Amino acid sequence: MLAPEGTDEDWIRRAQTGDRTAFPELVRRHQTAIYRFLLRMLGSHEDALELSQDTFIKAWQALPQWQPEAQFRTWLFRIASNTALDALRRRKLVEFVPLEESFDAPDSGPDPERQAQATQEVRQLAASLQKLAPEHRQVLLLREVEEMSYEEIGHVLALSEGTVKSRLARARAALIEIHARRRP
Amino acid sequence: MNPAEECPRTEALSAWVDNELGEAVRAELAAHVAGCAICAPVLAEFRQLHGAFAALPELAPDVDIAPLVDRRIAAAAAQPQTPPRPPPQRMRWWQAVPLALGGVLSLSLGAYLGSMLMLGSQATAQPAMRQMAAFTAIPPGALALCPTRQTCNPLER
Ligand SMILES: [Zn+2]
Repeated sequence: MLAPEGTDEDWIRRAQTGDRTAFPELVRRHQTAIYRFLLRMLGSHEDALELSQDTFIKAWQALPQWQPEAQFRTWLFRIASNTALDALRRRKLVEFVPLEESFDAPDSGPDPERQAQATQEVRQLAASLQKLAPEHRQVLLLREVEEMSYEEIGHVLALSEGTVKSRLARARAALIEIHARRRP
Repeated sequence: MNPAEECPRTEALSAWVDNELGEAVRAELAAHVAGCAICAPVLAEFRQLHGAFAALPELAPDVDIAPLVDRRIAAAAAQPQTPPRPPPQRMRWWQAVPLALGGVLSLSLGAYLGSMLMLGSQATAQPAMRQMAAFTAIPPGALALCPTRQTCNPLER
């Protein structure tokens, strides 16, 4: 009997051989990261939930072709990132309310003034992120939020490590510029 | 001079923040930045940005996506391989149920319920809609997920 803490590869093999309980386990392991990434990419909870499901369905459909050399997480993020870019292209440039716009610091906090400042800073970053080119947003999220190495990001985005390095530098510079323009 | 090494050395500084530099390269860059008025503020900004990302609230779905995916997979598997037949002209009994319940539910919702049933799904529309509604709000106190106040406000340091 395989323990729930088996590797992704164990669960993939089970799913590939027709075990109906195996794929839901894989979804459960990765759903938070995939949802979080898609939410930051799309800026909408509804879209993130929908596209998370689409990502896992596509992964399910492609599972017979999955090779053990590929890391399941980066393979999944590759599907998610393509799904997000497709959705953004379809949507064109519809402006969304930044995620943290409705996000308020609790007023009973120990230091409300400081919390309000922190909230403001987080709001500004989230809003600036939404103004960034999707390709830049994507690479920054993979690095700063998902904490992937350049090698892993290269696998997700099908880029050389050198290109990942230069894209990240340009993305940071662009985000700082947008961020600076928004500062009072 | 290699154009990549012009100041600010944006790529190298960015890779430093990401811990992707070899020790020798990092030491050389550190020595350079210590005396460079162009690179030093860029490095500071990159580090500040890194801290701001760390302070972003944790966002997690408040529904379990696994059963939603599983349901869609089961529904797809239940579909016949032959092209779908045109929909029946006569109303099926399950489409009539919402009307019989007092007309609160629209015919389109009835048709939706009907289509869900036809796919052989265990789901009803109602829980799905409740899940969506629960989704529109960011959980209160999300800021409290930041481990310390300092990491919540890195740009003040
Ligand atoms: Zn310099």
